[in-house]
Parts: sequence; structure tokens; C-alpha cells
Amino acid sequence: MAEYGREPCPFRIVEDCGGAFAMGALGGGAFQAIKGFRNAPSGLGYRLSGGLAAVRARSGLVGGNFAVWGATFSAIDCSLVYFRKKEDPWNAIISGATTGGILAARTGLTSMLSSALVGGALLALIEGVGIVVSHYSADSYRQVSPVERQQRYKQELLRQQKGVSPLAATYGEIDSSAL
Amino acid sequence: MSDNFSRTPYSDGHAATHEEASKPHYTTTTSSFSRTPVSPYLNYDSRYLQQAQPEFIFPEGANKQRGRFELAFSQIGTSVMIGGGIGGLAGVYNGLKVTKALEQKGKVRRTQLLNHIMKQGSGTANTLGTLTVLYSACGVLLQFFRGEDDHINTVIAGSATGLLYKSTAGLRTCAFGGAIGLGISSLYCLYLIAQENSSNSSPKYL
Repeated sequence: MAEYGREPCPFRIVEDCGGAFAMGALGGGAFQAIKGFRNAPSGLGYRLSGGLAAVRARSGLVGGNFAVWGATFSAIDCSLVYFRKKEDPWNAIISGATTGGILAARTGLTSMLSSALVGGALLALIEGVGIVVSHYSADSYRQVSPVERQQRYKQELLRQQKGVSPLAATYGEIDSSAL
Repeated sequence: MSDNFSRTPYSDGHAATHEEASKPHYTTTTSSFSRTPVSPYLNYDSRYLQQAQPEFIFPEGANKQRGRFELAFSQIGTSVMIGGGIGGLAGVYNGLKVTKALEQKGKVRRTQLLNHIMKQGSGTANTLGTLTVLYSACGVLLQFFRGEDDHINTVIAGSATGLLYKSTAGLRTCAFGGAIGLGISSLYCLYLIAQENSSNSSPKYL
């Protein structure tokens, strides 16, 4: 459980569908609990039963929508990996746009295009954040050449020597005119 | 001294005299060794090293089998897809029946068919997915609090799933749901135990 890796590509579709359903059902259940709690009549018993009724009614639907999105996205992503033979952010962006377009297919062409734009923009934001995070954390993984490592070692050694011996500072403060 | 090392069986470390070399000399451990020829250039008998089983290398701190959390998402996805498939087929059947009874044609029939398929498919998929989310959540929580992962977790998670799913439908229906969960998970564990005893391999807990 401490180390979680993703499955290879055909089985990733099933696993992403399950992960999306779990995320939608549990997260959507939390939101529906809050909404049902607020929308219930006054009294603690009424509010708790209202929250529970809302969770029972709608968390499965939210999970189902998330599952459809996750399965379609992952299927298109695996198809792009297979045909383009690459794994890069463009796969995710194209998959997000295509998923948004496909899942709005029954509501007309204009709605398809706007959903595709929203899906592509959302995945572009996600991939952009990932690129920025990896860019800032990449410096700690950079390899250091032996020459540079030796220079850093010498600088650290000099700093330690200056810190250890305070007599050098004392000698620097002596003025010849005071002798 | 004979030069034919391939036919000479392995003997003890003492030097064989000419008289002992003429007759066969067998030790008690010869029967457990194979009859493959031994290279005269090796200074040890490689047949001692062929009795070990293959060993696997695990990273430090890692479990030797997949836990419940790794399998949870695959289980949920499988349940959702199977539910969608079953519901979709039932939707096709119901859609054909209803549109034939109402004598609908063309675009209206196509729209009604699509509506039946999607409504019934998503309904069944959501039901099975919700059940599997409850089962996986109970299993992962039991694994976390008990610190063990065995058949007891499977049975308790199945029973808890049935109880929770029917928890708002009255006490009798709640108990009935718990009994169904207990029955299904017990049958599944018995199946796993039977497989474990027959194939003599390590169990794979779900």
C-alpha cells in the first residue's frame, strides 16, 4: 500500500475507471451529504437523515459520470500511446479534449466543441502544473561532475577553516601604527 | 587413474587406489544427484548448487504480495464495466420490446433505444460500482486497523457491505443484506481455500 504504481496500458483503462468511480462516489458523496444536510428541515435528526438520503440518491450517479469520463479518457490515451508511440503531455491534452467532445455528442455540435475546449484546457492546466513542479524539483536530481564536486568540497573546507580559527580575524585587525 | 571423468560417479575426498578404481564405488548421496557429467576443470562439484529454489528480491519494507488498496481500483473498474455491459444488454432487449410494442420507427426508435441502453446500463453500473466501493473501503479499513490481510477480512468486508447497502431499508432487510454478503464472501473464501489446498500455492487475498 505504501508504493502504488499504475498498470500497463490495456489494464490501465479498467483501473482508471475504478479510480474515477471511487473518487466520484466518495467525493461526490461528501458534497451531497453537505448539500442534503443544508437542504433539510430544521432539527438534527432531520438534517442527518436528509444528508443520508441525498448521499444514497446521488453519489452513485456522480461516481458513474466520473467513471465514464475516466474510462473514455484512459482508452483514448492508450490508443494515442499505441499509435503515436510516445508518452508526453500532448497525449493527455488530446485525450481530454476528445473525451469532452465524445461525451457531449448527443447534445449537438456546439456543445461538443465547447466541452472539448473545456476538457483540453483542463488537461493543459494539469499537465502545465506537472511540468512546473518537475522543473523546480529537477535541480536536486542533476548529476554533478567530479571537478565541480571537488570545487564545492574545497569551498566548504575553506569555510570550515575560517570558522575554526578565530586568530586569523584577530591578526587582520592589528594595525601596524598601534604597535 | 582413469581419464574418463564423465562416467566416474562422485566419490569421497580420499585418493582412490588402483584396486578401488577398478570396481564401482557408490556413496549414499549419489541417488539424490543427477547423472549429468562433471567438468574436470572445476574444483568443486556444481551438483551441490542445483538443489536451491529460485529466490526473489524485494525492496526493503515492501510487502511480498499486492495489498487490498492496489487491487481496489481494478475491482471497482471491473465491476462498473461488467455492470454497464449487463445493463446495456438488458437495455437493448427492453428497448427493442418497447419500441416494437409502440410501433415506433426511424429516428424516434433510435432515440428510444439509446435512452433505454444508457439509462439501464448506467443504473446497473452505478449499483455494482457502489457495492464494490463499499466492499473495498471496508476491506482497506480492516487491513489498516487489524494489520492483517486474510480471509477474515474478506468475510467481514462482504458482510459489512450487505449491511451498509440495505441499512436504510429497515432492520429485517438490513439483516437480509448482511446475510447475503456473508454468504457470497464465505463461498468465495471457500473457493480460494479449495484452490489453495489443491494447487499448494500461496493464497491471493482479494
